[in-house]
Amino acid sequence: MSELYTDILKNNFKGVAMSKEELSRVDEKLTLETDESRRDFLDKFSKGIFGGLIASGVVNALAPVQAKAKMDGSNLNFSEPFKPFDLPPETPGEDGILRMMRDIQRALKKPIEQRHWKMVIDLRKCVGCDACSVSCAAENKLPPGVIYRPVIQQEIGSYPNVGHVTLPRPCMHCDEPPCVPVCPAEATWKRPDGIVIVDYDQCIGCRYCLNACPYDARTFDFGMEYIDGAADAPKVFLGKEKAGKYETEASYEYEKEWKREGEESPIGNARKCHFCIPRIEKGMLPECVVTCIGRATYFGDGNDPQSLVSELIALPNAFRLKEEVGTHPSVYYIK
Amino acid sequence: MTREKMGNILVWILIIGFGAWGLPGMLDRFANGHVNTAYGSYIPWGLWISAYIWLIGLSAGALMISVMTYVFNIEAVKKVGKMAFLVAIATLVGAMMSVGLDLGHPLRAFSLILDPNLHSMMGWMAVLYSAYFVTLCVELYFAIKKEQARGEKQKSIKKILVVLGIWSIPLAFAFHGGVGGVFANVIAKPYWHGPMLPVVFLAGAFLSGGALFATVAYIWRPNQSKEEFLKMMIFLGKTTLALLILDEILELSEVYVGTFYSAYGEGHLWQQILFGQYWYTFWIVHILIGVLIPLFLLTAKSKSPGAIALAGLLIAGSFLAVRLNIVIPGMLDPEIKGIADAWVHSKLTFSYLPSIMEWQVLLFIVAVVMAVFMIGKKVLPIYQTAGDE
Ligand code: SF4
Ligand code: SF4
Repeated sequence: MSELYTDILKNNFKGVAMSKEELSRVDEKLTLETDESRRDFLDKFSKGIFGGLIASGVVNALAPVQAKAKMDGSNLNFSEPFKPFDLPPETPGEDGILRMMRDIQRALKKPIEQRHWKMVIDLRKCVGCDACSVSCAAENKLPPGVIYRPVIQQEIGSYPNVGHVTLPRPCMHCDEPPCVPVCPAEATWKRPDGIVIVDYDQCIGCRYCLNACPYDARTFDFGMEYIDGAADAPKVFLGKEKAGKYETEASYEYEKEWKREGEESPIGNARKCHFCIPRIEKGMLPECVVTCIGRATYFGDGNDPQSLVSELIALPNAFRLKEEVGTHPSVYYIK
Repeated sequence: MTREKMGNILVWILIIGFGAWGLPGMLDRFANGHVNTAYGSYIPWGLWISAYIWLIGLSAGALMISVMTYVFNIEAVKKVGKMAFLVAIATLVGAMMSVGLDLGHPLRAFSLILDPNLHSMMGWMAVLYSAYFVTLCVELYFAIKKEQARGEKQKSIKKILVVLGIWSIPLAFAFHGGVGGVFANVIAKPYWHGPMLPVVFLAGAFLSGGALFATVAYIWRPNQSKEEFLKMMIFLGKTTLALLILDEILELSEVYVGTFYSAYGEGHLWQQILFGQYWYTFWIVHILIGVLIPLFLLTAKSKSPGAIALAGLLIAGSFLAVRLNIVIPGMLDPEIKGIADAWVHSKLTFSYLPSIMEWQVLLFIVAVVMAVFMIGKKVLPIYQTAGDE
């Protein structure tokens, strides 16, 4: 079966297994040299050809992507200092959820730039139930057409040699996120703790980042509602208004209240997984982690060698998706 | 009835027709936002983005005609410089409308002019288009002033126009090459990514804009003798022909590289373009209407101005198909196989055919472009020529 997985992932998900050397780097800064050479050269060359574009090349060369971004999140209402809460005493063989909660508490006591949130998804344990997708949609009040963590299912091979693979795909929170520099409005950037976020109030909705993401991890809020076109007969059944209560409930992404009304943000914005910032800032695990019925999703601080995710990332069968594009994802898979 | 009058009537009929037909689409866009468009999250850009690069290309092409007038002093086009500015402005307005309506929050885009992200090619676009718009208006202003001035003053205005014209050359290269860069820099889309695209964009822009101008100059000919008119049309015809050949060489190179080993890379996308569901946009609209018929018209022995103008119209109009075939195929491949089936919704698919509402909005935009041109032509002394231009 494991061979089958290698095959599946290589051929269908363009996943490239990590080298042993890489696997041993747990507390990493991810400053790997990427396939600089040809692609970068061509990139810069094509930019450099045209007058004004030369300047763009110069700006890109001089300043790292993050330098200009508002990395402190000063224009977003990030939370008050973390107040730790009591967890049951550690017992042997306890549920990984508890261990990960301890990991989070430890991480939150450190300054933000010293932690690096990472996720690990064990493909051997994922049963493809979609619980994570649905709970994420509920947590973030996602409208139709917006999805942060779809679970991709594929049958592979040809009869009788067939297999089935399921692959949950959150945002990879890339350390070199191609979605960030393309944003004309500086509305998306990488926080010091590794999370790539979108500032809904700044985003102009150009969807450039949707095209730039090599994982199709961003979707656009078209302003649709589940009750669009629904029949309305309040006396006969629940009625459109009541049934649509979900649509008007606020979401609390980025620790701010967002109501989808009229043309207000997040309608008309790019949206994506944010590792459940409001939850982790309070010491809770992301919604997809706690609802995963296979206990296949793990979360924690990759900079902490004691954390569960660090242990898992160090396994020889851990890998990242599309390693070849040089994005350095913060999400790892185990096969 | 003169050709000009007929042209006026026809264009006004088109403006009213397109405007009326397009209005419901515009109202839909304002009432329901992007709900009734056919693009989604996996094919995020559609007809409007294609139309934007089509229109901005026409604008860049028209600008190059004005450069020929004012910088290179080309005799054949010496009386149409102002009209070229007007065409460039009208199409620029259309392009900005098209991209503006495509945004989720159009009003926020104005802040980009003062505070763009210069890491982003699209951020650069905001700066460059603003500079371009200002340049065009200033150039048109001086071009008109030049007619009214005499002697020394006329000479000094002429110099200003030369300087502005020279400045607009790198500007045109930057903003249109830059649009190519918006696509070419996306490493996630192999069909777009690479150094060829900005060059292809520029060649296409000069071709389509020059071609459109041949039609405009034919219908609304400036105050010139018959010989001058013939000379102008033949010059525009030859320029268009040369650009058409150049553009086709580039296209051939792209098709050849894309399809030769069709099992790899973008081969399957070229298969889609050439023999897929929408094969007719390539073969009928682009190759037949946009290349072969114009080629026949432009190489005909008779060199009739009408044939040149018709060729220009066919090239410029059908160029939208070329733009669509650049924009859409680039997004047809899922980044991760099977993703469209993971969470099923009409906005999460990998197929795209513009919705009626999208076409309506485009028709409305085209009506606006024509209206800006017609009104500009009426209120500004575009035809007035005094002394040497
Ligand atoms: S997965 Fe896509 S959206 Fe997420 S950080 Fe990477 S490039 Fe950006
Ligand atoms: S859609 Fe928003 S976040 Fe994405 S590139 Fe455009 S402005 Fe930036």
